Amino acid sequence: MTDRTPETVTETDLVATEATVIDPEIARRRRRSRITIALVILTLVALLPFYRSMGSYNYVLQVGVSVFMWIALASSWNILGGYTGYISLGHNVFYGVGAYVGALLLIHYGISPFVSAVLAGGVALVLGLLAGLVTFRTSGPSFIISTIALLFIVLVWFDAWALTGGSNGLSLPLPPFAREWLRVPFYYAMLTAALVAVFLGYRVQHSKFGLALRAIGADQVKAEVAGINTRLFKMLAFALSAFIPGVVGAIFAYSISYVRPTIFFLIAVGAQMVLMSIIGGRGTVAGPVVGATLIILLNEASLTYLGSTELNLVFTGGLLVVVLLFFPGGIVGSLRERGKLPAFLDWD
Amino acid sequence: MNQIIQVTILGVLLGGVYALMASGLTILFGVMRVVNIAHAAFIVLGAFFTYFLWESTGLDPLLGMFVALPVFFIFGAILYRLLFPRLEGSPRFSEMTVLLTFGLAFMTEGLMTYFFTGIFRQTTPSYLTEAFRIGPFFIPAAQFYALLASVVLLTGLWAFLNYTHIGYGVRATMQNRMAAQIVGVDVRRVSIISFGLGMALAGAAGALVSFLFPFFPARHWQWIAILLSLIVLGGLGSLKGAIVGAIVLAVISAFVSQYIGPVWSPMVFYGALFLILLVRPQGLFGKQVRV
Repeated sequence: MTDRTPETVTETDLVATEATVIDPEIARRRRRSRITIALVILTLVALLPFYRSMGSYNYVLQVGVSVFMWIALASSWNILGGYTGYISLGHNVFYGVGAYVGALLLIHYGISPFVSAVLAGGVALVLGLLAGLVTFRTSGPSFIISTIALLFIVLVWFDAWALTGGSNGLSLPLPPFAREWLRVPFYYAMLTAALVAVFLGYRVQHSKFGLALRAIGADQVKAEVAGINTRLFKMLAFALSAFIPGVVGAIFAYSISYVRPTIFFLIAVGAQMVLMSIIGGRGTVAGPVVGATLIILLNEASLTYLGSTELNLVFTGGLLVVVLLFFPGGIVGSLRERGKLPAFLDWD
Repeated sequence: MNQIIQVTILGVLLGGVYALMASGLTILFGVMRVVNIAHAAFIVLGAFFTYFLWESTGLDPLLGMFVALPVFFIFGAILYRLLFPRLEGSPRFSEMTVLLTFGLAFMTEGLMTYFFTGIFRQTTPSYLTEAFRIGPFFIPAAQFYALLASVVLLTGLWAFLNYTHIGYGVRATMQNRMAAQIVGVDVRRVSIISFGLGMALAGAAGALVSFLFPFFPARHWQWIAILLSLIVLGGLGSLKGAIVGAIVLAVISAFVSQYIGPVWSPMVFYGALFLILLVRPQGLFGKQVRV
């Protein structure tokens, strides 16, 4: 909206460079401190299942599984929605398809979803490419609407398809683990998935590929003029952001030993990914992690203390409205703008 | 042959109502580039409004529609003033409105579920079970009245846009917001009025929905997916496209429902959207715009 003349652009650019050029010693110390803090948190999280004497052990691990899963999902969504600005409201399609692939391979061929998860991710990736072929023919609001349509196509289809058990879904054989250890494999599997997703996000942020995606997000025509094959890069981003949800879907299906269209293909599921990324700060590495952790913990707290899912919905929607209107950069973006972002959240 | 004609009749009747449901959405996008994901949630709210009016006073839903119109108009104008001025000037305004109204849809659904519970409801006026008979064909009275009401409202909308001073302003803004501003159209006032109008149309559609379909708060997702497909299919912001698309697709989906199975009938709308994106990304009646 603001028409800036070339002069002012250079001026602000200069100011910006001056502000970002800080003492290399301080920069190094900041980097070291954030790596230390991240490693400490990660170690504590990884050691949690060894702390057997804690109360409600399985519940805590289950919340952990949930948090890691949503970190993985939101971070994946962020690769497409955060960097390129192409908002997919039907991203849970890939999550759900992954779940069904994992479930069917287990039921018919006895392959453990821990193994077939990668394959499920591959199927989701191919599906993402196919979906991109059609949906990238439009942009802006039409793109968003076409992703909703994609979700509903898959929902109607899986609701009626005999192979997937229709609307009743499929029951999976129970995992062959002792009951008291049941949650532990899922805990580590999801933790790994979350780490891979966050690492992917970090790599995207700090690569030419990510730069191209951000250029597309800023101005597609200019990006194209600058020699970026926008169509190819958008397709790659879509495929990449579909992969992890497929992997995570297969693992999650195994952990609940049950798949049904209404668990995976509800619009509210995709909405969560969007909400977490936006609240945390889309287009940042740490944003989806912060958003997912916050939302899951708040959800758990409200279920425990308020026990009402309807109000949960009001809260979710209200939070999205408030963040969009008052903190469009999300938590990470707004804190950075005010210069108050703690070093361990600054991975961009 | 008779059955084919009968199915076509039912499809057209339904298509008229879909056209009314989609018209408000189209106006909002055309005038303000707002994609209102909460539109169907407000339609359900309109259905609840008519339902409680009918339950407490016995007012026929078709008359309740005329109460819903002004109430929802004011509601829409207030909502616009509260939410949208903050987003204006955002470089990705349309996408932001999608997200904002997405949040609004969840809030509306949650509040409706909290206050009205999730059970199925339906107003049951006397004509719900009646039908007219023309030769070998049946025309269900309720659907017929709903179509009639849609035609009246859409004609009124058309007359408003074409023959009133504010209507000129609305159409001018739809064609070119900046140019309209230059020739002296108060775009902000036009925006408030169109948002009110879009909401009034949602309320009116809700009144018809209240007796046509059993409704419950979460039902709006299914409808919004169909309506969004319709407006993209017709060309975003094209009222003509939305109406033509609604009637054609409703007829096709009536056939699918009859001959393939009712579960597959919504697929017609989503499938048609994907097909049209492949062939003609700007939609049936949309203007060719390069991103």
